[in-house]
Amino acid sequence: MVFMQSLTLESATEKSVVWPRLLPRLHVKAFTGGVIVLVFIVIGIIGPSIAPFDPNKQELTAMMKPPAGIGASHSLGTDNLGRDILSRIIHGSRVSLLVAFAVVFVSGFIGIALGAISGYFGGKVDFLIQKLVEVIWAFPPLLLGITIMAFLGQGLFNLILALVVQRWIPYCRVVRGQTLSLRNRDFVTAAQCLGASNRQIITRHIIPNLIQTSLVIGTFAMASSIIAEASLSFLGVGVPPEIPTWGTMLADARIYISTAWWLPLFPGLCIFVTVLGINLLGDALRDLLDPRLKRTGAKI
Amino acid sequence: MTSYLFQRLAGTLPVLLLISFLVFSLIHAAPGDPTLLLLGEETNAAEIARAKERWGLDQPLYVQYLKFLRAAAAGDFGKSFKYAEPVINVIKTRLPATIELAVFAIIIASLLAIPLGVWAGAKPNSWIDNLGTTFGLFGISMPSFWLAIMLILLLAGVLNLLPTSGRSTYGIAGPEQTGFYLFDSVVQKNWPAVWDGLTHIFLPALALGMNMLGILMRVTRSSILEVMNEDYIQTARAKGLREKNVVWRHVTSNALIPVITVVGLELGTLLSGSIIVETVFAWPGSGSLLITALNARDYPLVTGIVMTYTLAFVAINLIIDGLYAVVDPRIRY
Amino acid sequence: MIITRRVLATLTAVTCILCGALAVQAQSRVSIGVTETIETHNPYGDSVSLQYGIYSEVTGPFCTYSYAKGDFEGRLAERWKVENPTTWIFFLSKNYKFNDGTTVTADDVVHSLMNRVIGDPQSKQKASVAPSVVKAEALDKFTVKITTDKPTAPLLSFLCDRLIVTSKAAFDKYGRDAADREHMMGGGPYQLKELIPGQRLVLQKRPDHPDAKKHPNAPDEVIYRIMREPEQRVTAFLNDEIQIAQFIPPHMRQRIEKNPKLRIAPIDSVEIMFLAMQPKPPFDKKEVRQAVCDAINRDQIIATLLEGFASRLDGPIGPGQYGYDPNLKPKMNYDPEQSKKLLAQAGYANGVDVELQTPVGRYTLDKQLTEAMIPMLNAAGFRARLLTPEWATLWANVQKGTVPFYYMGRGSVQDPSAALHQYFHTGETPRIGYSNPKLDELLDKEQQEFDPKKRRQYLSQAMSILTDDAPACFLWRHKLLWGLNSRIDYKPLPDARIYAIDMAVKR
Repeated sequence: MVFMQSLTLESATEKSVVWPRLLPRLHVKAFTGGVIVLVFIVIGIIGPSIAPFDPNKQELTAMMKPPAGIGASHSLGTDNLGRDILSRIIHGSRVSLLVAFAVVFVSGFIGIALGAISGYFGGKVDFLIQKLVEVIWAFPPLLLGITIMAFLGQGLFNLILALVVQRWIPYCRVVRGQTLSLRNRDFVTAAQCLGASNRQIITRHIIPNLIQTSLVIGTFAMASSIIAEASLSFLGVGVPPEIPTWGTMLADARIYISTAWWLPLFPGLCIFVTVLGINLLGDALRDLLDPRLKRTGAKI
Repeated sequence: MTSYLFQRLAGTLPVLLLISFLVFSLIHAAPGDPTLLLLGEETNAAEIARAKERWGLDQPLYVQYLKFLRAAAAGDFGKSFKYAEPVINVIKTRLPATIELAVFAIIIASLLAIPLGVWAGAKPNSWIDNLGTTFGLFGISMPSFWLAIMLILLLAGVLNLLPTSGRSTYGIAGPEQTGFYLFDSVVQKNWPAVWDGLTHIFLPALALGMNMLGILMRVTRSSILEVMNEDYIQTARAKGLREKNVVWRHVTSNALIPVITVVGLELGTLLSGSIIVETVFAWPGSGSLLITALNARDYPLVTGIVMTYTLAFVAINLIIDGLYAVVDPRIRY
Repeated sequence: MIITRRVLATLTAVTCILCGALAVQAQSRVSIGVTETIETHNPYGDSVSLQYGIYSEVTGPFCTYSYAKGDFEGRLAERWKVENPTTWIFFLSKNYKFNDGTTVTADDVVHSLMNRVIGDPQSKQKASVAPSVVKAEALDKFTVKITTDKPTAPLLSFLCDRLIVTSKAAFDKYGRDAADREHMMGGGPYQLKELIPGQRLVLQKRPDHPDAKKHPNAPDEVIYRIMREPEQRVTAFLNDEIQIAQFIPPHMRQRIEKNPKLRIAPIDSVEIMFLAMQPKPPFDKKEVRQAVCDAINRDQIIATLLEGFASRLDGPIGPGQYGYDPNLKPKMNYDPEQSKKLLAQAGYANGVDVELQTPVGRYTLDKQLTEAMIPMLNAAGFRARLLTPEWATLWANVQKGTVPFYYMGRGSVQDPSAALHQYFHTGETPRIGYSNPKLDELLDKEQQEFDPKKRRQYLSQAMSILTDDAPACFLWRHKLLWGLNSRIDYKPLPDARIYAIDMAVKR
């Protein structure tokens, strides 16, 4: 999650002199990243209908079959209960993407709102919110997730909640910084003179200016959310077993590392490639919006 | 500056208090009863009641919390249910392993990332730059537990070059002095033990440090890019200094400031990331201890470890801020 | 003395013989990779079978169960007699000596039982070693009288291989912690050399001990290394870092079988695996419970997922466990059609929703096995779902009695009495909440019946009721795979105890 800080450090240090030199690479990045992400989103949406097998259909007589190759019946092999790995991966993409989207939107919403309020109103409100940030942020991230899941129990909704609890903070921090500087700008003063209420100013004038940064944060947050969900599932505190996720597949594969290499390879590869694609997109997005970021002086 | 640090210290106290409260309530609220988990399978109600009384669990929650606070203020985190020893001692036996792992992760990450980042930043759009950026992207996209599994599969399984797990091979180590296996072995001049320790720590440190590697690469690169365009660099070039000198003497030292910040900030992530890596590699550190304690609902031990991590985090932040002031003369509090 | 060639030759010959003799005397050392851990220096501080086994070797054992004979044998307690249903007399051997030369006496036994096992708040062993013991007294130097609160026929299964007899003198002189850590003394053939909690424990043979003399090929030094992760254990075993590896997962055995210097020894464990059902709707109807039992294709699961390394249970216990009756009726068979009929009879012709809960990673392949059961249940007319809560949560809920349907194991079932009482006797624990007065009567009788023939009868009848009424479906006992180096001649025990004195190391 530190790429929130690092990304703003990175962006704020690249001057516009460098900008034209990066232009050709921008296109490559955006293209590759975009394609990857699009492929996975499409798989997530239509996947269940093109998956060759029911991901939960067990075939105890066909356990641990190695990959049969593209086009064959079990092209990526079967797992320890005879379930088709390709189908499970396809269904797993749904969950991973769904959870990631949900976490990013919810935490983004909360983070932007609280950050804007914090930065705009200042004073006691700011103080309280920042104290809350400090307390929650000081927790080792995985640990908080594990404890919350132990407390709430397995479930998709609980998992999203456990992830959101810490992830709204990067948005809050950056947005607060930006709000602080925006607050003193002319257009805000003008709006105040015209009698706009605080809520109107925040929602209509300040937040629209924050959207771009938030988008960039959002893409990197998607990436880290996918990894976080996989980590929690890997530790066994994710969703119940009837929902195949990449993380649970990796967890199940742990004792078979030396005997069935295809069990851990494919789910992990999917996580890796998806996250890579998202990061590429995020990079491209950030390069695109670079001058904006630089101008607002976003720094943690 | 001292007054600033003092202020910061004073400010962290209420935060620590709140955190301790949060940990306490969370772990106690989680379903699961330590008496049931730690007494044998054949235990009965009388035993359970005895244990509850001994561990203070029959008291209302706020009483337990106050007791805990009073003891913690004196530096006593209580006695672990599972190990029947003071929590501090238990943590002390496991913490060096995690610190060792984290230090090595940082070393590996820095050794690879910083030179690569400097080179990439100094020559933008070259093949080095492409390599570096790709490397950086790979680093931040890699899930650490998958990397851990793949490393075990490849290097330990297929190629049989390195051990699959554990910290040392039995029989090679000398007597334990500081708990830092590698340090002790070097001090005792036990070279087989040093090599043994290194082969065991390499894979887990690599898995743990990969994320940081990616981030460091990227931050170094962009930091270099910025500094390269500063006026004083143009001056140095105008003076006729060779490019290599320019890069290494002037650019790097200035560019390293944000890098240090990132390393410091990342230490927290390293600590929590070590939980998974330690589990996969059966590394006997405080991360795997935390999982064991959590599974056994060993309340004092869990609270102790979390507070230790938090304290470390807070301390690191303070040190980074202080270092900042030392390194950059422009920053004064 | 004039050095002649002859003298030189003689000297050389003598030296060579001495060297040869010394070489033969070289220490034999066996390292064992174990899964359970020893976390404390207090021998009474944990209730784990590994710990019982190791400390029993250091202090005795008090008496031991021989699987070969199917009965108990004396050791420190040479023989015993039951004076009346609540009084037992144990006669101690006079040959067991502590490391400092003093003899193990009745006072030490009384002290260990009353002060360490029962009276010490740090002890976790009371319920497993002395659940019904009220008093122990020394009648003379080598005779102990033990009084129980109610007649306890299976008392030996609690004391043998479990009662750890430590020195009263050391305890009085040094205090408990120092006595345990620095002056750990026992009357057994091995002495504790080193203990690093969570990592390893080292035992050294006492050459003067009578048992050691009887077993000259037993290893001189035994190192128990705690290796929880199967990968770690198997790799260490393949590298000869350990010569014995406990509990190898079935799918890893090929790597070991390929190595001619290593072998796999499968042993039936004494842990019974079952599906427990609380008698609340829908499981309040006997037909539904029987339908569950008929729905599971145990043979297929054993053949495929467990690769044959389990033996099916047709009743609460299997061969080798006390009271096993091969002719126990009824027998549960795999019959999904029958399940559907039973469900219809119970009024669930359109299916019924059930949630099976299982721990993960606590028992061999627990998650995979229960995952395989779900489609079987569904094919038999249920609508089943699997939940995999964290162990801490699950165990707490089971103890509270709030888990209606779960997969569980019960270990250390060498004598089924304790387990059956715990799970099925009215009022003992809320784990299942089953209540059957006829069963209660039988269980009470067997606990107090000292005539082995009559006791077996009662047990048989009780288990017959259980199999028929099915408050739990008894599934299988895992076959635990031990990895043994071919240099070592050893037959592992079903209850995970490791008695190094029974090993023979080929030199």
